[in-house]
Amino acid sequence: MKGYRKYFLNKLLWFLVTLVAAFILNFILPRLMPGDPVAAIVSRLAQGMSNTAGIQAIYEQYAEQFGTNRPMYEQFLLYMRNVFQGDFGFSFSQYPRTVADVIRSSILWTIGLQFPAIIVGWLIGNSLGALAAYRRGSFDKVIMPISIFMSNLPAFGMAVVLLVIFGVSLRWFPTSGGYGFDLIPNFSLKFFWSVFVHYQLPFWSIVLITIGGQAIGMRSMAIYELNADYVKYSRFMGIKDRKIVRYVFRNAMLPQITGLALSVGTMVGGALVAEIIFSYPGLGSTILTAVLGQDYPLISATTLIITIMVLAANFAIEMVYGILDPRIKAAQAD
Amino acid sequence: MEKVILDVADLTTKYITRFGEDIYAVDHVSLRVEDGKSLGIAGESGCGKSTLALSLMGYYFPPLHYTGGEIIIDGHNISGMKPDDVRKSILGREIAYIPQAAMNALNPTQKIIHFIEDVVQAHDPTTSKQEIYTMAKALFESLGLPAEVLQKYPVELSGGMKQRTVIAISVILRPQVLIADEPSSALDVTSQKMVIKMLRNLMDNGYIKAMIFITHELPLLYNVTDDIMVMYAGQIVERASSKEAVFDPLHPYSKGLMGSIIVPEEGLRDVKLAAIPGVPPNLKNPPPGCRFAPRCKFARAACTAASVPLRELENGRSYRCILSEEELREAYAREDRQHGR
Repeated sequence: MKGYRKYFLNKLLWFLVTLVAAFILNFILPRLMPGDPVAAIVSRLAQGMSNTAGIQAIYEQYAEQFGTNRPMYEQFLLYMRNVFQGDFGFSFSQYPRTVADVIRSSILWTIGLQFPAIIVGWLIGNSLGALAAYRRGSFDKVIMPISIFMSNLPAFGMAVVLLVIFGVSLRWFPTSGGYGFDLIPNFSLKFFWSVFVHYQLPFWSIVLITIGGQAIGMRSMAIYELNADYVKYSRFMGIKDRKIVRYVFRNAMLPQITGLALSVGTMVGGALVAEIIFSYPGLGSTILTAVLGQDYPLISATTLIITIMVLAANFAIEMVYGILDPRIKAAQAD
Repeated sequence: MEKVILDVADLTTKYITRFGEDIYAVDHVSLRVEDGKSLGIAGESGCGKSTLALSLMGYYFPPLHYTGGEIIIDGHNISGMKPDDVRKSILGREIAYIPQAAMNALNPTQKIIHFIEDVVQAHDPTTSKQEIYTMAKALFESLGLPAEVLQKYPVELSGGMKQRTVIAISVILRPQVLIADEPSSALDVTSQKMVIKMLRNLMDNGYIKAMIFITHELPLLYNVTDDIMVMYAGQIVERASSKEAVFDPLHPYSKGLMGSIIVPEEGLRDVKLAAIPGVPPNLKNPPPGCRFAPRCKFARAACTAASVPLRELENGRSYRCILSEEELREAYAREDRQHGR
C-alpha cells in the first residue's frame, strides 16, 4: 500500500499544479480578446441618448462596477478572492444575473449528458474492439471500417448527421432543447419523458463518436495481448480459453484507461459542440453565448468549471489505473 | 529395458500459411524417451525444434496443424484426442512445457500464486486455495525458491528467478514429461547454471519422469541430457548418446554442427572452428532426396535421387545418410589429413 500512497500523492500534486495553471490561463485568455464588453453594454443601454457626458458617466459607472478600469493584476487578485468565496460576479451578457446563477442552471445538464455518454461510449467501444480482436473474421471486417469511419467524423459532423436523419427527416426526436419549450421543469412524468426524448440525439452523437476510437484502440491492444507469450504458456498449462481471455482483456484495458484519461478533455470539448448544435441547455451553449457577448466572468467561470471537471475525471481515472495495474505500485515502492 | 514414457511414431505436423501453402516443419519424426532419461534436440534456428516441441503436446492451434503419427505418453495415446480433452487432462498434467521466453510467460498483472491457482483449478476445480497454497509453498521450497515469490507479481522478480518460477509452475501437477524449449538461452551464465541445476534436480528427484531439452547450444546438451537428436529441415538426421553425438558425430550435418562450436572438453581444444556453408532450405519446397545435400561436402548424384531413410545401427544409434558408417568415417579422416590435422 505504501507504493500506492506515493503514487496517489504524486498524482495529487500534479493535479493541483495543473489546476493553478488552468486557473491563471482561464482568467487571462478571455481578457486578451479584442473589444470592450463594457462599451457593448453601455451602447445597448445608451441607444437613443445623445448626451455624451451622460454616456460617459454610465460607462464609468459600469467600468467601476465590473472592475475593468483597474490594472490586470488587481483584477486577478480580486477575481481570485471572489472565486474562493464562490462569487464569480455578474454576467455581462445576461446582467443582472450572476455567473453562479447561470452556471447553476446549466451544469447539471452537461454532467448528466456527457459523463454517461462518454462512459457508455467507452464501454461499448472497448467491448466491440475486444470482440473484434477475439472473433476476427467477418465480425472484425465489419466493425473495423465502421469504427474508423466514425472515429474520424468530427463531433459536430456526427451531431448534424443525426439531427438531419432522426430529427428532420424521420421526426423521431426533437431537434433542440433539453425539454419541450412548452413545459416548465417539474416532477411530472410528462416532463421526464420530454427530457428523455430530448436527451437521445445529443447522447448518441457523443456515444457514437467515442465508440469508434475506443474500438480501434482496444482491438489492436487485444490482438497484441492475445499473441503474448503468457497466453501461449497459459494454454500449454491447460488453462481454459475463457480464463485466458479474462487475463488478456484486463491487460489490454490498461492502456485504454490511460487513453481515456488523455482524451477526456478532447471528448468534453467535442461534447460541448454537440450541445451547441442541439441547443442543449448545458455549459456548451452557455459558453457560446458568453463568447458571443464577450462575457469575461461567464467565460472564465465556465471554462474553469470544465477544466476542473476534466482534471477531476483525469485524476479519478489515474487512481483507478493505479489500483488495476500492480506494476504501478511495484515501480513506486522501489 | 526401462519403461518407455514418451513414444512418438511418424509424427508429422504442418503450418498452413495465409496463402494456403503447406509447410511441413515436423516431418515423420519418431522418438522414444525412457523412464528417467532425457533427450536433447539440437539444430540450427528454423530447423523445426520448437515446432516439434509444440507438436509433441498434441495440442494444435492455427497456423499449426496435425497431419499424422502417434504420440503415446505412458501408454496413453493422445494423438486422436479432442483439443479440449487434451487441454484439460494432458497439458500441464501429463506433459508440461517451459517456453522459450519465460521472461514473458507470466501474466504481468497477476500474482504468481493466483496463476498457480488457475493452473491447478483448470484441472481440478475442487482443490481449495488453501490446499494449492500449501502445495505450491512446499514445491517452491523443495526446489530452493523462496516462498515469498508466490505473493509477488512477475515484474518484481529478476530474470533468472522468473525462469525458475516458470519451471516450478510447470511441474506443479507432477507431469510425466517436461519439454524445455531453450529455457536458458535468454539468461546470463550464472542464471543458466541455476536453471540447469534445477532441471537436473527435477529429474534426479523424480518430479518428472522424462525430459526433452531443446537448444542450439550443444555443449549444454552434452552436460544435461542422456541422448541427443539432431534435426535438420524438419527431419531427424541423427540420434545418438550425448557423448557419441558430440565427440563422434556420423551425419555430415551433425559433424558440421559440432565442428562449428567451441566445446571446452579435452581433445576438442585445438580444433579449428568451421562453419557450415549456406542456409537451411525453405520448407515450402524442400530439396529432393537428402535435404542437406545442397550444403554437404560429400554430396553425390545419388543423394538427390530419392529420399534417404534413417539407418539404424546395432547400438541404438541412427542417422540419415546414403553413406555407410565406414564410408563416412573414411571421408572425415581424409578431410582431416587434407587440413593437416
